[in-house]
Amino acid sequence: MQKLGDFKLPHFFNYPPYFTLQPVKDTRQKQVQLWKELILDYCRTQKIFVIGLEDDFPLFSNSAIERSLSHEARDIFLSGLVSDGRAEWMDKGHKKCLILWLRIQDWADCILRFVKDNGLEDSVMTVEEIRSGIESRGTELHGMHRTVLMRALRMLEQKGKLAMFKGSSADDEGVKFSA
Amino acid sequence: MRRRPGIGGLQTAAATRDQYRLVGENVARIKTDLMKEQLATFRSQLEDFARKHKNDIRKNPTFRSQFHEMCAKVGVDPLASNKGFWAELLGIGDFYYELGVQIVDICLATRSLNGGLINLQELCNLLCQKRKAARESVTEDDCLRAISKLKVLGSGFEVISVGKKKLVRSVPTELNKDHNEILDMAQGQGYVTVEEVKRRLSWSSGRAIDALETLLEEGLAMIDDGHKDGKRRYWFPCVSFVTTS
Repeated sequence: MQKLGDFKLPHFFNYPPYFTLQPVKDTRQKQVQLWKELILDYCRTQKIFVIGLEDDFPLFSNSAIERSLSHEARDIFLSGLVSDGRAEWMDKGHKKCLILWLRIQDWADCILRFVKDNGLEDSVMTVEEIRSGIESRGTELHGMHRTVLMRALRMLEQKGKLAMFKGSSADDEGVKFSA
Repeated sequence: MRRRPGIGGLQTAAATRDQYRLVGENVARIKTDLMKEQLATFRSQLEDFARKHKNDIRKNPTFRSQFHEMCAKVGVDPLASNKGFWAELLGIGDFYYELGVQIVDICLATRSLNGGLINLQELCNLLCQKRKAARESVTEDDCLRAISKLKVLGSGFEVISVGKKKLVRSVPTELNKDHNEILDMAQGQGYVTVEEVKRRLSWSSGRAIDALETLLEEGLAMIDDGHKDGKRRYWFPCVSFVTTS
């Protein structure tokens, strides 16, 4: 089985026709589903948050079989993820896609768990600390994409679980977790 | 006996024939009784054998296949009915029934990938993987047996031969001779091009494209436009191993 680093690639990745958009409806449906699952899985294990359509994203081509996904195919698969609520386009031109291998709600739950596990109720942290501080090491929060983190924090703010405020430096925002 | 003319003679002849007939029937009846006795003995020995080797029959595919051969020679079909001695004792009916269900499962699960046509070898592989936990492996022979039982249920399952390979069809798609020839050709590299089909089968463009497009529509073929030579390839998942690595 082929591997991309540590990641085990599914069998269809080595079957040339999967790199061509299939015209028959049922076949196309299956193709899109397989690709969506693959992209999500890969991003989850590699902690990838953004895919640029024109980038050399490893899944977009397979040199072993000399095939690559056309721009149209890439767009269709990623748009599929967007429809499923597992991704968002970052621009109108569909050049960059934010991958939500965990939904915002799931990220919010992660943050709440993090707060509980570290006894951070009623304390303050900067946004940056949440994603790169010592406490977050070993958790899913570590290395999180800032945009995704901000969205999750905002969601929690609306639910009254924390309050956001601007820090003294222009750089960062702070978070006060509720008791 | 001296033949006597007249009515008396005829009556004697008739009586003689009757007597011979009676003797003949007796002989036949004795033979039949003997035969029945022998068969009964044989049957009980076969049953003993089956009882003793029940486990082997379940666990060992070679043994199982030989057992079937033996039964067939005597005209016994252990799968004939799900009730009765054989089914209860051996659970052989159950064994094949179970296999049949698993085969249906696999065919359904892979249908969207191969259009409802799967390589017998691949099916067998997937089955063995499924049964790894029970450590009861199966052979292609077992699969064919189970599928023939499925056929009896009218489930639309059929085994077709294409070239050297056997494919299991689980959809009602009828494949005509043209389709079969393309599938046969595809076994070489897993794909064909319109050009190749035309050249090797001496078909017109129309005929080749027609057949390929039908196979495409039925989900049995997938197109590949990615080769650097720019020629469209038609791939056939059923002749390769697309679901297992």
